[in-house]
Amino acid sequence: MFDLINPSKIFYLIEKLINFINSIFFIFLLVALSFALILSPPDYLQGDSVRIMYVHVPSAWIGLASFSVISFLSIINFIFKIKNLNLITKSIAPIGLLFTCLAIVTGSLWGQPTWGTWWAWDARITSMLVLTIFYLLFIFAHKLIPQEDKANKVSSIIAIVGLINIPVIKYSVDWWNTLHQPASIKLTGSSTIHSSMLVPLLLMLLVLLLYCALIFLMKYKTEIIRIKKKNIKRL
Amino acid sequence: MIENFINMNGYGLFVWLSFAVTVTACTFVYYKTYKTLKKYEKDFAKELQKLSGQQRKLVLEKSKVATQVLASYNKSI
Repeated sequence: MFDLINPSKIFYLIEKLINFINSIFFIFLLVALSFALILSPPDYLQGDSVRIMYVHVPSAWIGLASFSVISFLSIINFIFKIKNLNLITKSIAPIGLLFTCLAIVTGSLWGQPTWGTWWAWDARITSMLVLTIFYLLFIFAHKLIPQEDKANKVSSIIAIVGLINIPVIKYSVDWWNTLHQPASIKLTGSSTIHSSMLVPLLLMLLVLLLYCALIFLMKYKTEIIRIKKKNIKRL
Repeated sequence: MIENFINMNGYGLFVWLSFAVTVTACTFVYYKTYKTLKKYEKDFAKELQKLSGQQRKLVLEKSKVATQVLASYNKSI
């Protein structure tokens, strides 16, 4: 099964996927932005400021999901010692950091008109800030530790320790009194968001996921080339 | 109508700033990632050029990745 992620075997596929995503991305972006900024209705309480949700919520989801994937792959790597998984986690981390930062910044821009403050040390926001720190530690471990094996080990430990923070972020709105409302969209059970807002939200999520796939594939390709260049005489 | 769309009933600054920050950050990361990829492709092609003719031929025969990186680099120059 792990042979499926062998860089030499999927390198050609990466190029094809990059070209495919590039060809469809702008169509999806235009449709999603039209829904988010024009076609979706304003909220009866928050008015048009609710449109910030269409970038804030998908960004937060991607930030959380990226770290969960990194942690999961780090655990797998600890058990099965698959070197290629390090390349994958290393390629995902900057994407996760970008979207966690975007969730914090857009959240701040949403907080000012809604709560009357740019920032509050509320459980959800603070735990998102902790997630940013874990991402930075993970990335700096790779940048600052020259021995690759040691860097991989340290970053894997950071990812596994950081996993504790994921349920804290998810359930912070239930465990503590926070400014954030409880989840409106549930994977199990019925969601409390109207379809006129759910559609643009899912479209924006799709567009941002396409963007993530594009960046991931380019970063992964860069990592493969870096490794191949290092071992060029042994190829 | 356009004025209403830009103003967003008084929330225009926050809404447009949110989307602008997202688009700018995503564009910047895309550009930086693309540039890094192209730099690595170029460096890889240079390393290949440094090898002797026979070694290069052997590498290109054995490694599909090397062939594809070289093809991609040649396409971009």
